[in-house]
Amino acid sequence: MDAFVEWLRATPLSQAIVFRIWVWPLCETIHFIGLALIIGIAGFFDLRLMGFFKQVPIDDARELMPLAVIGFLLNLTTGVTFFIGHPEQYAHNPAWWWKIGFLLLAGINAFVFQFVVGKRTVGLRAGVDAPIAAKTIGAVSLISWFAVLYFGRMLPFLGGAF
Amino acid sequence: MMAWLEATALATWTRESPSIWAYPTILTLHTVGLGIVVGANAVIDFRLLGFAPRISVPSLSPLFRLILWAFVLNAATGLLLFMSEATTKSKQPIFYIKLTFIALALWNTDLVRRGMLKDGPIGAPLNSSRYRRLAIVSLVLWSAAITAGRLMAYL
Repeated sequence: MDAFVEWLRATPLSQAIVFRIWVWPLCETIHFIGLALIIGIAGFFDLRLMGFFKQVPIDDARELMPLAVIGFLLNLTTGVTFFIGHPEQYAHNPAWWWKIGFLLLAGINAFVFQFVVGKRTVGLRAGVDAPIAAKTIGAVSLISWFAVLYFGRMLPFLGGAF
Repeated sequence: MMAWLEATALATWTRESPSIWAYPTILTLHTVGLGIVVGANAVIDFRLLGFAPRISVPSLSPLFRLILWAFVLNAATGLLLFMSEATTKSKQPIFYIKLTFIALALWNTDLVRRGMLKDGPIGAPLNSSRYRRLAIVSLVLWSAAITAGRLMAYL
């Protein structure tokens, strides 16, 4: 890991990210906007699965999800930029590994919904509860994304970054 | 005034306590509130722009209560964060720019809310160009507020 961090830091790309002063604040701003998209759009869908907003048919709430995917891609891109710029701040940071762990959990959870549980919610009309498996998926997703946010924001405090 | 604010027990605790529940948690709650306020607004805005057109707009109205509570959280945590460094933050022009964007964005959100209360049950007027305009203004203003907030760490 240390060798990888040293190698990455020496790459021209890493140097460019760190030494152009506008890159970091710009990426941070985009990262926060992406965060809001994920929490808002995915969170809304999660809440519907859990039994809130029942007047909204689940398939309709799901139509907004590509916007959450856009938010995720924005944050993946800017997040990778942060890592390339300062890998040493993240690679040994427990908060960062917790964040990655919850990202994986959110990803696996979404995968299970997409390919297994989601089929059971297709066509559920307004006012109809989702099956318990789908409710669980919604709750796990909501908790995971807030945990990702928590450990991301706590990087400087739990892991002493920056 | 700002020096007094910064010297209060509450401001001193926020700034200097080594506890994880002081500055780190207050800052993190401010980001949680940001995600809920801007994210819930985004759900409404994108619906008004024509995404997920089968969602009935009035069924989204509970989101306004969520926005209100998350905003209260951010006003409270924001006040604590400001107090903790009042003398420096009160001299940052970008701070006042951020407050202006937030005030305008809130006003805009309230225009959408009141419009939905008035026109909501009919449905059809909600697809009007007025609501599309309000939705675009909302997305721009909330993004601008985030940008100004982030830049407070740099300018």
